[in-house]
Amino acid sequence: MTSQVFDAIVVGSGISGGWAAKELCEKGLKTLVLERGRSVRHVTDYDTALKDPWQLPYNLKASNEDRKKQPVQSTLYLYDQSTKQFFVDDVANPYVQDRPFTWYRGYQVGGRSLMWARHVFRYSDLDFEANLREGVGVDWPIRYADLAPWYEKVERFIGASGENSGLPQLPDQVLQPPFDMNALEKHLRAGIAKAYGDRKLICSATAVLSREHKGRGPCQGRNQCARGCPFSAYFSSNGVTLPAAAATGNLTLQPDAIAHSLVYDEARKRVTGVRYVDAHTKQVAEVSARLVFLCASTLNSTAVLLNSRSSRFPDGLGNDSGQLGRNLMDHHNGAGATATYSGLRDRYYRGRRSTSMYIPRFRNVTTREAKFTRGYAYEVYSWRGHWTRGVDGPGFGADFKNEITRPGEWTLYTEGYGETLPNPDNRMWVSKDETDAFGLPKIAVSMAYGPNEAAMETQMRDDVVEMLEKAGLENVQGFLRETVPGFVIHEMGTARMGRDPKTSVLNAHNQVHAAPNVFVTDGSCMPSSPPQNPSLTYMALTARAADHAAAQLKSGAL
Amino acid sequence: MPVTRRSFLLGSSVLMAHAAIGDVMAAFAAAPRKATFLSDAELATLRALVDVILPATDSPAASAADTHYFIDLALPACASAEAVTAFRAGLEALGRQGFAGLAPDAQASLLKARVDADLKLPYDQSFFRILKDYTLTGYFMSEIGATQALAYERVPGGYEGDRPLQPGQKAWALQ
Repeated sequence: MTSQVFDAIVVGSGISGGWAAKELCEKGLKTLVLERGRSVRHVTDYDTALKDPWQLPYNLKASNEDRKKQPVQSTLYLYDQSTKQFFVDDVANPYVQDRPFTWYRGYQVGGRSLMWARHVFRYSDLDFEANLREGVGVDWPIRYADLAPWYEKVERFIGASGENSGLPQLPDQVLQPPFDMNALEKHLRAGIAKAYGDRKLICSATAVLSREHKGRGPCQGRNQCARGCPFSAYFSSNGVTLPAAAATGNLTLQPDAIAHSLVYDEARKRVTGVRYVDAHTKQVAEVSARLVFLCASTLNSTAVLLNSRSSRFPDGLGNDSGQLGRNLMDHHNGAGATATYSGLRDRYYRGRRSTSMYIPRFRNVTTREAKFTRGYAYEVYSWRGHWTRGVDGPGFGADFKNEITRPGEWTLYTEGYGETLPNPDNRMWVSKDETDAFGLPKIAVSMAYGPNEAAMETQMRDDVVEMLEKAGLENVQGFLRETVPGFVIHEMGTARMGRDPKTSVLNAHNQVHAAPNVFVTDGSCMPSSPPQNPSLTYMALTARAADHAAAQLKSGAL
Repeated sequence: MPVTRRSFLLGSSVLMAHAAIGDVMAAFAAAPRKATFLSDAELATLRALVDVILPATDSPAASAADTHYFIDLALPACASAEAVTAFRAGLEALGRQGFAGLAPDAQASLLKARVDADLKLPYDQSFFRILKDYTLTGYFMSEIGATQALAYERVPGGYEGDRPLQPGQKAWALQ
C-alpha cells in the first residue's frame, strides 16, 4: 500500500469519512480510507441483528465482565448484549479525564454511523449568526445559503423521513413521509398547538426510511438499529456511502490502520501524507497523497493535528492561532419531564418506531431572554406501560402478572437538548509523556458546562412542564440532573472554522488555514453548537469541502 | 407500504440465513439443565419463588420458561458481588423455612412478609428487588414469556402508530 500514491487520504470511515470517501471517489480521485478499527461488512457482520432476546447472553443484560472491559461504554442507554461489539474496549483505548467526560466511541469501519441516533436537522441563520450577533467565540465563515444546497444533496442521497416544521429556525428539508404519531402524541400535538402560537410537536427528521429508497428499506419496525440494519433502512457508512465509493473503483479501504500524524514537508510547505500505526503489528508506516481529509471524530482528528509537530508547527499542525484543542462543546440534556395519561385506553400501536417526536426551539428566536442566550429543543418519547413497570415495587402473583402483561397507562418521557457556548477553557490535549498500547499520545479532556447552560436548563425544565400540563397530561414531573460532558455524544469544536487565521484553525471550506491541502470536516470544525443534532451538518460540510478540494486540485491551486 | 411484511420475509435471504439460529437454540433448550452456580437446595427454593412471583395464568409459569436456571446463570455473571451475597442469604433464609415444600398461599405469605423491609433497602442489598429484577427479565425475555405472556414480533414489518386496542391484546415484549 505504501508504494502506491493516492490522490486523497480520508482518515476515518464514520459519518463524515464515508461522505468524504464517496464524494472524492465520485470525482475520480484515487482515495484511501484509513480506519483505525476492524472491518465490519454491511449485513454480513451484523451478527446480532435478528436475534431474539433469549438468543443473546443473559437475555440482553450486560455482564460484570462487559462493564470491566467497557466501563464508560457500558453506561450508555444503547449498550447491551446486542450492541456491545460496536463500542470500544475502554481498557485497551485509554484516555485521561482531567474532568469527568464520557467518551462513547466506535472503532470499526462505519464508526458511530452504525449506532447513531439518526436525527438529521438543518441549522438556520439563527444558528450561523449567533456568535457574531453576541460577540461570542468566532463568527461562522458561512451562512445558511452556503450550506443549503449541500443539505439538500445529502438528504436526497441518504433518504430521511420526518415532518417539516415550517419554522424559520428549523429549515424545511427533503423528507419522506414521517412515521405515525401514536394516540398520546396526537393528543399532545393538539394541546401544544392550542396553547402556543410558536411551538409545535412534529415527528423528528430521521435518517430512517419510511419508504423504499434507492433499493434500501423501508424500515421494518424493529427499533434495533444499533445492531446494524439487515434491511439497510437507516443511514450508515457501511450501508450507503462506502458502497457508493467502492462502486467507482477508486476506493481503497484500509481497516486496522491508526492515524498518528500528518507528514509535513518543510521544503515544499505542504502536507504530503499520513503516518499511521498498524493495529496488529504496531509498525509505523507512511502513505502519501495530494490531499488529506481528517474525519476521525472530533477528539481524534484534533489529536492527529496536535501530534503533527514540525519546526513550522511546533504546537501541532494548523495551530498558529493556539485554538487547536480548545472550545470543546457538547449539548446538555439534563432537564426534561415525565408524565402519564389515563385516557386513550382503547388505542395502541404495532411495531417499534425508531425515532422520537420533536419540539423545535422556541426560546431566543424572535425575542431575547434575560437569563440566557441560545436555545434548546426537546425529544419526546411515549408508550403504553409494558412489563418493565413491574420490576420495581411490591407486586407479585397472578393478578400482578395479568396486569403487567397487558398494555398499561400511557407514559411520556421528554428531555431537552441545549446549546453550549464555546469556551476556550473547555479543551482537549495530547499527553507529552503518556502513550497508549499503540504508541499514540493519550488524549486528555477537560470540560465543564457554564452559567449560561445552567440558566438555560432551569427554563428547559419549566417550559416542558408547562406544555405538558397545558396539554392535559397527568402526574407531570419535571427533572433537573447534571449532564456529564460527552454524555450526549455530540462532542464538537477543538478545530474551529473561522474567517481569521489568527483566531481559528479552518477556513470557510474546512481547510487548515496554513496547510490548505488538509481538510477537517467532522465535529471538530464547529464554531458553535446549535441545539439541533449535528450529523447532517457534518455530512453537508464534508460534501461541500470535497467539492472544493476536487476543484482546487483540478485547477492546480492545491 | 410497497413491500408487504409477508412478501418481504419470504424474499429475504438475510432472514433465511439467520433462521438456522433458531434450530441451534431449540437444541440448546432441549438439553437437560443443571445448576452451574447455585446449590440444588438453593435452586429448589428459587424454582418455587419464581412461580410465586409469576405463576401459571393464561400463560405458563416462570419455571416452565426455566427462569430459575436463567437466574443461576445470569446472577453471578451480571450482578455485583454484594447483590449475589444478599440474594443467596435471602434464598437460604427461605430455604430454612422449607419454602419449596409449602403450599402456594403459605409461600406467598412468607414472601410478602419481607417485601416492605426489602423495598427500603438499596438494590444490591435487597433480596426481593434483585429477585423481581431477574425473575421478570428472565421470564419476559425468554421465548415463552415474550411470545405467550406478552406479544412479540421479531420483525414487525413496519410501524402503525395509532390503532384500536385489539381484544385480548397483550403488551408488546419490546418497545
